[in-house]
Amino acid sequence: MRKARFFMAEAVRSIRANMAVAVAATTTVAIAVFVLGAFIPSFLFVQSAVDQQKDRIDVRAYISDPATVEQVNELRDAIATMENEGTVESFEFVSKESALEIMRERLQDPTILEELPGNPFPRSYIIKPSDPERSGEIIDALDDLPAIDQSAGVVDGGETTSRLLDVARFIQWTGLGLIVILLVASLLLIANTIRLSVFARRREVEIMRLVGGTNWFIRWPFVIEGILCGLVGAALAVVLLWAVKVGVVDNWIVENDEGLTRDTAATIGFSALAAILVASGAIVGALGSGITIRRFLKV
Amino acid sequence: MVVMEDVTKVYPGKDGGTTALDDVSLEVDSGEFVFLVGQSGSGKSTFTRLLTKELDASSGRVVVGGRDLTKLRRGRIPYLRRSIGTIFQDYKLLPGRTAYENVAYALEIIGESPRSIKRMVPEVLTLVGLGEEGGRYPDELSGGEQQRVSVARSFVNQPRLLIADEPTGNLDPDTSIGIMQLLYRINRTGTTVIMATHDRDLVDKMQMRVVELENGQIVRDQRQARYALAD
Repeated sequence: MRKARFFMAEAVRSIRANMAVAVAATTTVAIAVFVLGAFIPSFLFVQSAVDQQKDRIDVRAYISDPATVEQVNELRDAIATMENEGTVESFEFVSKESALEIMRERLQDPTILEELPGNPFPRSYIIKPSDPERSGEIIDALDDLPAIDQSAGVVDGGETTSRLLDVARFIQWTGLGLIVILLVASLLLIANTIRLSVFARRREVEIMRLVGGTNWFIRWPFVIEGILCGLVGAALAVVLLWAVKVGVVDNWIVENDEGLTRDTAATIGFSALAAILVASGAIVGALGSGITIRRFLKV
Repeated sequence: MVVMEDVTKVYPGKDGGTTALDDVSLEVDSGEFVFLVGQSGSGKSTFTRLLTKELDASSGRVVVGGRDLTKLRRGRIPYLRRSIGTIFQDYKLLPGRTAYENVAYALEIIGESPRSIKRMVPEVLTLVGLGEEGGRYPDELSGGEQQRVSVARSFVNQPRLLIADEPTGNLDPDTSIGIMQLLYRINRTGTTVIMATHDRDLVDKMQMRVVELENGQIVRDQRQARYALAD
């Protein structure tokens, strides 16, 4: 405990004595964390949009209202056979009531449903193909069955969906690549700044060694200093990100929220993001200075 | 206290490197005061730096206070250095710390309690004649004063061996005598002192054991001697 206090005091002393370097390191962390903190949620947003599109590649078989139980069973058996053969991954029956319920949940203003005279939504099977590319086979197999409502039919997303998916996949991979590049660049930048700050004090480190300081006795204050710079830098970035989120992004979402439906793509929550960023700031700071100093401890 | 057996130190380089010490053997007993004299480049610094394991001998054995340094693990080096007080020509004070804090650092390293640090540091500073200067930073002190701080730091934890490498090299003669007197007083308390120097006047005044190095070899080892052989 006494040692911890001593190391803390040493770290604070060293920051005060090397204010310019500490500010440089903190700013570097702040900039790197800000860029990452802006990019990561955007990337997750895109990825979530992609996943939503993927989930939407269902084949829907709409059942006509007058179809008999036998006809519906025939349809179900046909789908179950395809499930056994492996063409269909899973399927699910949606009754008229649940169709209405689903719509109620998706609408921002469900009261408009009250104005409907009856329940206009048909029964249907939602069929998830094991491979989206093979949804055509499923459609062909079911389309002519008597249970099918001939006006709605058996449908999937069609050409548009698959083209959209290609584009989205491209965005996703590029985004992942960019994040990795950004991450490496930030790490190098931070490591370099810390290296400069340790290098400026290599003589001091050498003296500490010569008067009998153990490596960890000398290293701890540097590690704590790294943690403090990392924490403060990341906290600065988080404050800045918060300002951008509240001031720009949230407004933009409100202004552009024109649709009736509520299902927008999700991204990481701000507090989770902030926690991750601050923690990584501290870890990078600690490792950066702890590792860099090793070179000067060899006296 | 110090035993060197057939010690050779070669700095790697072209043409087989540079031989700084060539088959040196020497013994220094507890409580002795030894001057290490010789021209620049004769191997004095190499000699002293071998004793703190700043350097490793290329061959031979170096024993300090019963520890065989050639077998000492790297992790034990700090503990070796704590048992040896070291004084350098360039003082090697920590620049961002006051005289008081520089001396206190040596005690903090060995985990001394804040209370005894508060008691011991002013005592030692007074002993070296800097009782009033504890709050000043190295760059506010003269060379002689800085070296006194360094002396205070070197013996505040009462080492049994004190090594001084050209401690008066940057100081004028009067200031040098002051530092010399300090080292002599420390030696009188039973601490072994090994001092590398080429300050002829100091050595002549003191009449102590003199070990002379030339081209990395001991050419003279004489008790109660002068800097050079009388012609």
